[in-house]
Amino acid sequence: MGAVRGKPVLRDEGTRLGFRLTLPAQILVLFISAFPLLMQLYISVTDWSPLSGLGWWNAWEMWNSFANYTDLAADARFWSALKRTAIVMIVCVPAEFLLGLALATLFADDFPGKRIFYSILLMPMMVVPAVAGYMFFMLFQSGGPVNDILSAVTGTQVTIAWLSDPTLALIAVMIADIWQWTPLMFLILLAGLVGVPEDQIKAATLLGANPWQRFTTIVLPKMKTIIIIALAIRVIENFKIFDTLYIMTGGGPGVATETISVYIYKVTTQDLIWGYVAAIALAILVVLSIVAVFAMKRMARARQVPA
Amino acid sequence: MSTIQLKHLTKTFGDFTALKTMDLDISDGEFMALLGPSGCGKSTTMNMIAGMEEPTSGKILFGERDMAGVPMGRRGVGFVFQNYAIFTHMTVRQNLAYGPRMRGAAKAEIDRRVGAIAELLQLTPLLDRKADRLSVNILQRVAIGRSAIMEPAIFLLDEPLSNVDAAFRAVMRTELKQLQRQFKQTMVYVTHDQLEAMTMADRIAVMDHGVLQQVGTPLEVYNNPANVFVARFIGAPGMNLLKGRPAESDRGLVVDLGPLGITPPLPDELAASVRGARGEVLYGFRPEQVALAQDGRGLAMPVTFVERIGARTIVHLGQGEGAVKAVFDNDVGLSIGQAAVVAPAAPSVRVFDAVSGLAMGAG
Repeated sequence: MGAVRGKPVLRDEGTRLGFRLTLPAQILVLFISAFPLLMQLYISVTDWSPLSGLGWWNAWEMWNSFANYTDLAADARFWSALKRTAIVMIVCVPAEFLLGLALATLFADDFPGKRIFYSILLMPMMVVPAVAGYMFFMLFQSGGPVNDILSAVTGTQVTIAWLSDPTLALIAVMIADIWQWTPLMFLILLAGLVGVPEDQIKAATLLGANPWQRFTTIVLPKMKTIIIIALAIRVIENFKIFDTLYIMTGGGPGVATETISVYIYKVTTQDLIWGYVAAIALAILVVLSIVAVFAMKRMARARQVPA
Repeated sequence: MSTIQLKHLTKTFGDFTALKTMDLDISDGEFMALLGPSGCGKSTTMNMIAGMEEPTSGKILFGERDMAGVPMGRRGVGFVFQNYAIFTHMTVRQNLAYGPRMRGAAKAEIDRRVGAIAELLQLTPLLDRKADRLSVNILQRVAIGRSAIMEPAIFLLDEPLSNVDAAFRAVMRTELKQLQRQFKQTMVYVTHDQLEAMTMADRIAVMDHGVLQQVGTPLEVYNNPANVFVARFIGAPGMNLLKGRPAESDRGLVVDLGPLGITPPLPDELAASVRGARGEVLYGFRPEQVALAQDGRGLAMPVTFVERIGARTIVHLGQGEGAVKAVFDNDVGLSIGQAAVVAPAAPSVRVFDAVSGLAMGAG
């Protein structure tokens, strides 16, 4: 093959053949990801809506400069939805991470009944989010089990209207999210935890490190990559929080639990201004892409240093 | 105070006995090798000394101090793992500093000690390198340095050379031995490689199936194996053992090997202890201690295979139970199918009881 490498003509030939061979797959990828993106971009600079009587490809007739984007910048409901989404994320993701890490640490060692607890622990993740939403909707009724338990504990009749109070509704929604997604965090972190080389932990022990020191100096640094992956997954997923929340509160009371997905949903189905929806969605995509790129960069850097 | 005493040390895992009542005294500054095939209990013994495993019964004393219940971080032992267990996410400096840092030593103190140990191990230029891409001999030095900085009285090494390729092993052996001379610590070295044990250790403890077989200097275990296992295990190839019965002849006591004929007479001292034996014995001699008998006095056997490995030639003779090997320093010109008459050198001959496997007349 040495002779082949010396002739650039042949190498070009190889490149061309390679391109032709991968062409079908590239076209497929183009249609799956690039096409919808471009379509969205296109619609986002028009006033097009499904009721406008035009095919989407003719949306240019309704070109509105960049009015959708300037409207978006001034849309207080959008910004408050974004802020609410950020609050949910800032509370839920760290809570899920810390709970998941604590559980993973617990499950890294053996204890009686471990397999049963393990199965039970993973259950919430398997529940269909819509079902989980209905479940928590029932739990948080003013005559529901949550208040019953609080009544039993406090000894007085508790009748909190969880889902009708703006603050409490947000808390209830966050509790549901934490309940459902801590198991995923737990599962990913457990995989990372059992991958930490045991003899390095033993070596640290022999050098006099106590359990906390071993955790902070050996276990956590070794889990860095997997922690970044877990956090990135949950940040992106949590940003899109919808099904459970929508069933529990419908974004209410008022707009108290209206996150960005709920807002987009309402604008799409109630207001039917799809050009505007496309603009919102693109703005969100940019934000999430920044998160993903950041996570991937950290991962690539961490991968250069194998554990 | 860094002697180690193992007293009736036993370890069982469920029904399986990993170690049977082991007694061993290791003196201060000694390099003791625990040698045996895999599953012989050597690593279990080491892990119990380190405190990674609790003995089922028996005692471990460091000096006068009973180690029962002392956790592994407090025993003052340095441990070098089979794969070194270097903290790959840290630099060489952070690896060396790990112990003192975990014990809360002052920054200046840590720097001084790391500097000193790095100087001693010639790691100074590598201090700020990440520890994940170092060659094995550097890893070994980092592993030793990381333990040595804690100034342990005892050093335990768990087959540190088993992942190293053969050519490099000789270099590493020399380096390890020199390091031990520098540190003067008591060292316990676990290995299944007799060459490592023979070349480095002051004494070797040969183990098999959880039982200590023999303790002695490398030459003691080589020259005077206590039993058949040690005779076969030590030496490459191991000692030749042929089954037979003691018999008187006009030249003195010999061993009648049946179809193979009669051995040359045993040396007087050995003959005295074998003479009383009733049953069968195993007649043993080292492959290296064999001469081709020109006068026809010896064991006549057909050559079945010849291995020429440069400086030495290994000749396989006979078959089945009566197979022996002979090692010559030069090509003796034998070829397959030829008959050879070999005579073991009398002083190297050993005789074992065929039933108990114990050496006879070994004192």
